[in-house]
Amino acid sequence: MPARPVAPPAGGLGWANLGMDIVSVNRVRRLLAEYGEPFFERMLTPGELADCRTSTGLDVLSLCGRIAAKEAAFKTLRVRGRFLPWPDIVVRRSEGGWPLVELHRSAAVMAAESGITEITVSISHDVDYAVAVAAPIIAPTSVPSSETQ
Amino acid sequence: MADGLQQVKNWILDRHPERNDIAPDLDLIENRLIDSLSFVEFVFLLEQQSGTSIQMETLEVDEIRTLAAIETHFFAGTRAEVGQA
Repeated sequence: MPARPVAPPAGGLGWANLGMDIVSVNRVRRLLAEYGEPFFERMLTPGELADCRTSTGLDVLSLCGRIAAKEAAFKTLRVRGRFLPWPDIVVRRSEGGWPLVELHRSAAVMAAESGITEITVSISHDVDYAVAVAAPIIAPTSVPSSETQ
Repeated sequence: MADGLQQVKNWILDRHPERNDIAPDLDLIENRLIDSLSFVEFVFLLEQQSGTSIQMETLEVDEIRTLAAIETHFFAGTRAEVGQA
């Protein structure tokens, strides 16, 4: 079997390893019915769960959107041999309504190792699916001293 | 096969009806039998069947990459014989 190609690491001018994910509403609805809210407490922080809550309980579409956003954000990190550190990639709703990604602990370490300072994400959903796309913000590379003079 | 490991295998097979069996050395991740969402559910199942608490943050992919690895890491004391349903 031929060896698989190796993707270059993120970083450098123009580089952006995008991440994208899609989550089935039916699948999440089944998990919620089967295990209840505690199941999602392993994936979402209390603040994220609060963002997904309405007066009638957890909004499944919002839940799916958060899950898709976390997965999409994780994909931008391009790490091997690691599972998604669910509680370390936090997707909160900003005052304007758009999602903001916070990287904590292991996710922050992985991002730093990939030269990523932040991740921006966009979420969309319709009846059956939620999708998210994420783009990393690459740390500016230091300018050689000869170019600064 | 130890009952707990058999339950794990059955759980995967239930979600992938296109498969009749899972070889002990089949890469469950590469073959997309476990993805990131089902991984959380899978950890729930492993905790139930192995009777141990699992920290997802410290779990290494290689610990659940194959049924043989799962046997080693979570059912080592149960004399499981992976690969025979």
